[in-house]
Amino acid sequence: MTDLLQQLVNGLTLGSLYALIAVGYTVVYGIVQLINFAHGEVFMIGAFGALATWTLLFQGTTALWVLPIMILGAVVASVTVAVVMERIAYRPLRGAPRLAPLITAIGISVALQEAVRLFYPGAKSKIPFPQIDVVTGPALSFAGVTVQRAAVFTVGALLMSAALLWWFVNHTRTGHGMQAVSEDKDTARLMGVNVDRIIVIAFALGAFLAAIAGVAQGLLNANVDFRMGFLAGLKAFTAAVLGGIGNIQGAVVGGLVLGVAEALAVGFIPGQFGGSAWKDVWAFALLIIVLVFRPQGILGARVVDRA
Amino acid sequence: MTAVDETIRTDRPDDGPVLEATGVTMRFGGLTAVNNVGMTVRPGEILGLIGPNGAGKTTFFNCLTGMYKPTEGRVRLLGNDLPPKPRAVVMAGMARTFQNIRLFGNMTALENVMVGRYCRTSSMALTSILRGPKFRREERETRARAQELLEFVGLGKSSEHLARNMPYGDQRRLEIARALATEPKLLLLDEPTAGMNPRETQQASDLIFRIRDSGLAVVVIEHDMRFIFNLCDRVLCLVNGQVLVEGTPGEVQSDPRVIEAYIGGAADDEEGDA
Amino acid sequence: MSTSTDIETTYADDAEKVSLWDRIGRPVAPFAWPMVLAGAVILAAGCFLSWSYTDEVLGDLSIDFYPGAVQNLMIIAAVLAVIFALMYRGPFSRLGEWLASATALRVLGLGTTVFMALVIALIGVQAGGLVNVMPGAWISFVGAVLILLGAAGLTPRASKDPLHAHLPSWLEILTIVALLAIVLFGAAYVLDIEDGTVFSLVVLFTGLVAFTLTRAGFFTWVGIIAQTHRRVLMLGAVAVAFLFPFTQDGSDANMSIATQVLIFASTALGLNIVVGLAGLLDLGYIAFLGAGAYVGAMFSHSAFATIGWKPNFLLVVIFGALVSATLGLIIGSPTLRVSGDYLAIVTLAFGEIFRLAMGNLDGQDGPRLTNGPNGIPAIPDLEIGSFNFGETHEVFGITLGRFANYYFLLLVVAAIIITVFTRLNNSRIGRGWIAIREDEKAAEAMGVNTFGLKLFAFAGGAFLAGMAGTIKAHHDVSVTPDQYIFLESAFLLAAVVLGGMGTVAGVLIGATILKLMPEKLRFVADYRLLIFGLLLVLMMRFRPEGLVASKRRQLEFHEEDEELADRVEEVHLVEEQEAKA
Ligand SMILES: Nc1ncnc2c1ncn2[C@@H]1O[C@H](COP(=O)(O)OP(=O)(O)OP(=O)(O)O)[C@@H](O)[C@H]1O
Ligand SMILES: [Mg+2]
Repeated sequence: MTDLLQQLVNGLTLGSLYALIAVGYTVVYGIVQLINFAHGEVFMIGAFGALATWTLLFQGTTALWVLPIMILGAVVASVTVAVVMERIAYRPLRGAPRLAPLITAIGISVALQEAVRLFYPGAKSKIPFPQIDVVTGPALSFAGVTVQRAAVFTVGALLMSAALLWWFVNHTRTGHGMQAVSEDKDTARLMGVNVDRIIVIAFALGAFLAAIAGVAQGLLNANVDFRMGFLAGLKAFTAAVLGGIGNIQGAVVGGLVLGVAEALAVGFIPGQFGGSAWKDVWAFALLIIVLVFRPQGILGARVVDRA
Repeated sequence: MTAVDETIRTDRPDDGPVLEATGVTMRFGGLTAVNNVGMTVRPGEILGLIGPNGAGKTTFFNCLTGMYKPTEGRVRLLGNDLPPKPRAVVMAGMARTFQNIRLFGNMTALENVMVGRYCRTSSMALTSILRGPKFRREERETRARAQELLEFVGLGKSSEHLARNMPYGDQRRLEIARALATEPKLLLLDEPTAGMNPRETQQASDLIFRIRDSGLAVVVIEHDMRFIFNLCDRVLCLVNGQVLVEGTPGEVQSDPRVIEAYIGGAADDEEGDA
Repeated sequence: MSTSTDIETTYADDAEKVSLWDRIGRPVAPFAWPMVLAGAVILAAGCFLSWSYTDEVLGDLSIDFYPGAVQNLMIIAAVLAVIFALMYRGPFSRLGEWLASATALRVLGLGTTVFMALVIALIGVQAGGLVNVMPGAWISFVGAVLILLGAAGLTPRASKDPLHAHLPSWLEILTIVALLAIVLFGAAYVLDIEDGTVFSLVVLFTGLVAFTLTRAGFFTWVGIIAQTHRRVLMLGAVAVAFLFPFTQDGSDANMSIATQVLIFASTALGLNIVVGLAGLLDLGYIAFLGAGAYVGAMFSHSAFATIGWKPNFLLVVIFGALVSATLGLIIGSPTLRVSGDYLAIVTLAFGEIFRLAMGNLDGQDGPRLTNGPNGIPAIPDLEIGSFNFGETHEVFGITLGRFANYYFLLLVVAAIIITVFTRLNNSRIGRGWIAIREDEKAAEAMGVNTFGLKLFAFAGGAFLAGMAGTIKAHHDVSVTPDQYIFLESAFLLAAVVLGGMGTVAGVLIGATILKLMPEKLRFVADYRLLIFGLLLVLMMRFRPEGLVASKRRQLEFHEEDEELADRVEEVHLVEEQEAKA
C-alpha cells in the first residue's frame, strides 16, 4: 500500500511536470494545427534562464525570495525564444505544405540545443542547479511516503498555473479571441480578431508554463542539461495527445495520467521488462497506442474528414 | 470514338437495375443528413439528383461510394451487395467525381487518368522493378487508354499539363476522364457544371450524353435546373435528407412541393452557385 | 483544415533589386564592357603576384608568378568573366544569344568581389594584420570590383530558350562527358585539400561558379541534354563512381568518407521512397538501418556475437533486409489510421523504442541479444568467397585499400537501390504513391489500394535500408545503440529534404554534403550540429523544394510562379515529342 502511494506521489510529480509542458503543445496546436516540436527546447531554455539569473544576480544565495526572480528570468528567456521562433521561422511558413513546419521545428530544436551547449558556459556537461530554501532540502515524509519538497513545488506550480490559465482563457478578451481563433480562423478574422497576435500569445503562453516547468525540473533534479528538452518534450507531447490535443484541460489530465502510468510501470511490471530501463519504452508504446486507437485523446473531439 | 466505346461498354446480363439503394440513412451526431433514401438506377439511364443546399446530396453520394459508412441502408450494384469501402465500390463498377474538385494537382492530366487505371491493372513491385514484357505491355496500354479517354472528354491536347494549372472547366472534365478510367458501369457526377460558363455547360451535357451512349448509367447532382431537365431521363428531388419527389423531368418541374422547397432555400442557392 | 489561407508573397522585392543594379550601373554604362574586360585581366594579373607576406596562410600565396590554390580559383573566375564578356559583345556573341551573359557577369562580379574581400580578411586575421596582405591581393580585389561595376552597366537581354538549341549530338555528349570528368577530378582535388579554410573557399567558389552558370541558363541546357542522352549520362556517372577509388592512390582517408557517404545515401534513398514519393513522414528511419546492422553483427564471426549460427553473408544480407522490412510493416501499420504529423510522431516513437530496446537487451533487462549499451564490437571484415575485404589489392599498379573494397560493394548496393527507386517511381506503384501524397481520400475513391501501398512504401524502404545495414556492421566494425539516435533520423530526413524530395540526384547531393562537410571542416566540427539545425530552418524558409527540385515539387512550393510552370510543362512536352521521334 505504501508502495502504491509512493509510486502515485512520484507519478503525480512527474505528471505535473509533463502537464506544464504539454499545455504549450496543446495551445499552439489548437490555434495553428502545428506540432511545435521545438517546445521541449523552450522548456530547457527556461531552466537555463533561471540558472543564468541566479548565477548573474544571486550567486551563493539560497533564500526563498530569490525564487520568484529566477522564475521571472526563466519566463523571459522562454517567452523570448518562443516568440522569436514563431516570428522568424514559423510565420513565413503558414500555408506551406505541412512537412515544412515540422522540419523547421526539428531544425530549431537541434539549433537551440547546440546553441546552449556551445555558448552557455560549462553547458557541455550537466550544471548543478541552485538549491533554494524551503522548496528544496530534506524530504518530507507522510506515513512512510517520502515527498520531495521540490515535488510539492511542482504540483503547486501546476495547480496555480492551471487556475490562472483557466481564468485567462475564459475571462479575458484575449482568451475569448483565442477560443474564437481555434474554432475557425477565418471567421475570427472577419470578426476583427487579430489572428497573428493571438498566435504569438499562444506561443508565449505555452512558453510561460514551460519556463515554470524548467525551474521545477531544475529543483527536482538539482541539475540542468542541454539535452533535457528532447525527452521531456516528447513525453509532454504524449501527454497532450493523451488528453486530446488542442484541449487545455486535456493536457493537464493527460500529463498526470502519463506520469502516474509511468511510475506504476516502473513499480509494478514484473520481470525483466519492468524497472526503470523500460519505462520510456512503455511511455512511447502508450503514445503509439493512443495515436493509433484514440487520436482524439481522453477528452478531445474527433475530426471527420469531409469528402 | 469506337475505341472508347469498346473500352467502357459493359455487358449487362439483363435489364435489372444497375444500382439499387434502399433505406440509406446517415447521421452525424444529432443531424440526420440523409434519411431513409431509396434510389434505383436503370441501365443506360441518366438520373438527376436535385435539392437545395444542404439537402444531403453529396452525403448520399459519399454513402453510395463508401466514403462514409451509412448508419443504415443497403446498396446493391448489378445485383451484388456493396461493402462501404471506396476501393471495393470502384472495383465493383461505380466511380465518381467530386463537388470540390479533387484532382492530383501535381500530376499531369495523363498521369491523373493513369491513376484511374490503377484498379484495372496489376503490375506489382517485382514486375515493375524487373520491367518484363508484361510490365511494358501493361504500361503502354495504360498510357494509350488514358490518352484515349483524355481525347474522349476533349483534353487530348492537355495531357502533359499539370492538373493544378488547368482551367476550371478542364479540371472538371479531367475528373470525369479519371473516373471513366476505372471502367465503371455507373458514373456519379457531383455538380459537374458548377462554375462553368454556358458554352462549357453545353459541352458537359454533350459529354454526359456520349458517356450514356457508350453504355453507362449516370447519376448527376446539379443546381442548374435547365441543365438537369434537358439532360435527365428521371429526376429525384432530395430535401432535408429525404426524397421529396421522384419522376420525369416534366413531373418534377411542375410539382409545387419542389418549387416551394427551392423558394424556401433560394437565398442559399444563389450563394452556392456563386 | 483551413490553415492555408494566408500565403505571404516573398518574391515581390525582385523589382527593387533590379533597380539597385541599374542605379549603380547607369553612370558606367558607356564603358561597361571594356571595364569588365579590364577587370578580368587585372583580377588574373593580381593572381600571379604574391598575396600574402607569410607563406603559412591559405596554403602558400606568397610567391610571385606561382599561383596557389586560391589564386588559381580567381584565375578561373577571370577566364569565365572574359568568356561571358566576349559573349556579350565580340567573337562569342552568337553564344550570347542563348546565355544570359550580363546576368551571369553580375553574379560573377559580385561573387568574386565578396570572395576577394573574404580572402583579404582571412589573410589579415590569420597572418596578424592587414599589413601582411601584399599588393597582388589588392590588385585582384580591384579587378573584381571593376567586373562588378562594369557588369552593373551591361543591359541584361532576353536570351533564347535553350530548348530550341539543336547542337550536334556528339557535341552534347562531349559536354556531358566533360562535365562528368570535371566532377571526378574536381572531387578528387577537393578531397585532397587538407586545410579546412582553403577547402571551404574552394567549396564556396564551386557554389559561385555553379550559381553563375545557373543564372546564365547553362544548366537549363545541360538538364535538357541530360534528358536526351540519359543513357550516356548514366553510364558516365557509373564510370565516374567506379573510377573514383583509383584517383585516391591507396589513401584510406577519403575512401572512408566515401563509403560513409554511400551508406548514408543508400539509406536516404530508401527514406525518399517513403517521404518523397508516398508523402509519409518517417522520423524513426534510422531504426531500419540499425536493424540490418544488428542482424549483420549478430550473425557475424565477432567473438561478441550473440547467435551461434554463422550463415553465408548473402543470406545474412537477405535476412537483415527481411527483419528490417518486417519492422517496416509494423511501423507502417498505424498508417491505416494515422496520418500527417501524428504519423511522424508515431514513427519517432518507434525509432526511440528500437534504440532503447537495443540498449536494454543485454541479458539483464531482457534476453541477451545486443549486449546492451556496449553493443557488438570486433566484427571481422567481410569475406565473400576467398575475397577478404580487409586486405589491400593492387589493380593496374594502384593500391586499393580496405575502404575501397567496401566502396565497390556499397556501390553495387547503391546502384540496386537507385534502380529500384527510379523504376518504382515510373510505374503503376509510383503513380499510386504520388496520388496518395497528393490526396489520399481521392486516391482511395479512384480505387488505389492506399493502405497496401503505404505499407509497401514502409516495408520496401526498410528492406533497402536493412540491406545497407548488414554491410555497415562490417564496415563500422562495431554496432552500438547510440549510432541510431533520433538525430541520425533527422539527418537522413535532412539529406532528403536538402537535396530534393523525390529525386535521386538531389538525395545523393544532399547526403554527400551532409557527410562530407563535417569530415572536412574540422574547424567547425563543434558547430556542425548548430549549422545543421540552422540550415534546415533556412532551407524550409527559402528553398523548401531542395537543391535539386523535382519538377513537381518545385511547382508545389512556389505556386505563384506561373512562368516556371509553363516552362516545366514545355520541357516535358518536348521530351515527349523527342521520345516519340
Ligand atoms: N462529415 C460531416 N459531419 C457533419 N455534418 C456533415 C458532414 N458532411 C455533411 N454534413 C452535413 O450534412 C448536410 C448535408 O450536406 P451535403 O453536403 O450532403 O449537402 P448537399 O446537398 O450536397 O449541398 P450542396 O448543394 O451545397 O452541395 C449538411 O447540413 C452538412 O453540414
Ligand atoms: Mg453537395
